[in-house]
Amino acid sequence: MIKCVIWDLDNTLFDGVYLETPGQRPPANTATIKVLRELAGRGILQSIASRNPPEAAGYATELTGHGFASVQCGWGAKSAAIKAVLTELGLTPAEVAFADDDAMERAEVSFHLPDVLVLDPHDLAEVPSWPQFSPPVITDEGRRRGELYLQRQARQEEAKAFGGSAKEFLRTAGTKVAIGPASQQDGPRLAELSVRTHQFNSAGIEVSPETFADLIRDPSQPGRRVITVRLSDKFGDDGIVGGCIIKIIETGPAYQVPLLMMSCRAIGRGVIDALLTWICLTAKGEGAESVIVPCVINDRNVPLRIALTGAGFRAGDRRAGQNQAKADYVRSLAHLLPELPDWVVTR
Amino acid sequence: MSIEPTQTELRRLLAELTSSDLALTAPADTPLLREGLGLDSLGGALLLKQVRSRFGVDVADEDLNLDCLATIGTLAAFIAIRRISR
Repeated sequence: MIKCVIWDLDNTLFDGVYLETPGQRPPANTATIKVLRELAGRGILQSIASRNPPEAAGYATELTGHGFASVQCGWGAKSAAIKAVLTELGLTPAEVAFADDDAMERAEVSFHLPDVLVLDPHDLAEVPSWPQFSPPVITDEGRRRGELYLQRQARQEEAKAFGGSAKEFLRTAGTKVAIGPASQQDGPRLAELSVRTHQFNSAGIEVSPETFADLIRDPSQPGRRVITVRLSDKFGDDGIVGGCIIKIIETGPAYQVPLLMMSCRAIGRGVIDALLTWICLTAKGEGAESVIVPCVINDRNVPLRIALTGAGFRAGDRRAGQNQAKADYVRSLAHLLPELPDWVVTR
Repeated sequence: MSIEPTQTELRRLLAELTSSDLALTAPADTPLLREGLGLDSLGGALLLKQVRSRFGVDVADEDLNLDCLATIGTLAAFIAIRRISR
């Protein structure tokens, strides 16, 4: 699934060359901008890689009416600009597409980043009908994704200028994490997270909206709970950024967490640590002796494994899973648990 | 064989990743994550990716608990031992 389209400007989003006629700015390429708007409405991010001064990106925002999640204006190779977009947004090459009218630029990007989907503007009209640009569910969070990335830029700029510790910044920014049981309307967003999250996903499987709906609705499964995590601060409301499924095991007794997932957007904002602490405190409050998170072992979810071990979980033996190896990460609740920061609320 | 060369190379890599020279001179028992060198979980993941491509050691696959991510010294030792035993 494509999460971000990276646009060239001259003769791609612009109908002409920005620097060609001083004092005069090129008109919009309306056909291309129509495609950009259609894709942005589906929650696909938009970025810029252009050999132009940064002012050209501001002009592109004016023309398209859209903010760009990452802007790379400069004179280096387009492949380097795309790598900068990937780093800034935390994406992999296979998750982005690149549109440029110049065949040489497209070839250069294809050579250095073979996993990037390179688009010839002549094919753009068809792109909205391609499956990799058609997310199965479009949620409110999805539609607002572009806006959320702009809020992130504002937050990062202020964090850079902030003198105190990361924790103090979270407090100053008015961070609020709300953890509690999922309601029926949360199903589609949770399903979307199960598809989109990789770095913070314990199970590595996609869960359908129907399955979530059943789990949330079905009172005959009192031992199972679906939990959502919402995040907001003074820069904006991120909505649901994560969640988990909890299975209560009577023998043990233990809390098992078959699925734990968190959006990349929540990284660095104390959310994954808050959720792990919340799960442990809730489990202990209900008499469980341990929390078990079965976790696939791959190189993409290393950030989650770092968070788990940082929160006191220890890996058991590696075992063969369906497609990939797994291990149980176990946290004993016998020892003292950390407290939840006061900006975490239980709904 | 001493772990010094590995540690020196690792320190250079850490300095690049954190855009700070602190990693070049900090004591070997300086933590890599959080307050130590300030790597967060994503930074830690990026570090292990670089370690795999530069040293050919797949830490994320071999050390499920990622204990070797504790300090500069523990990670250097882990990498050095894997390199020697090959």
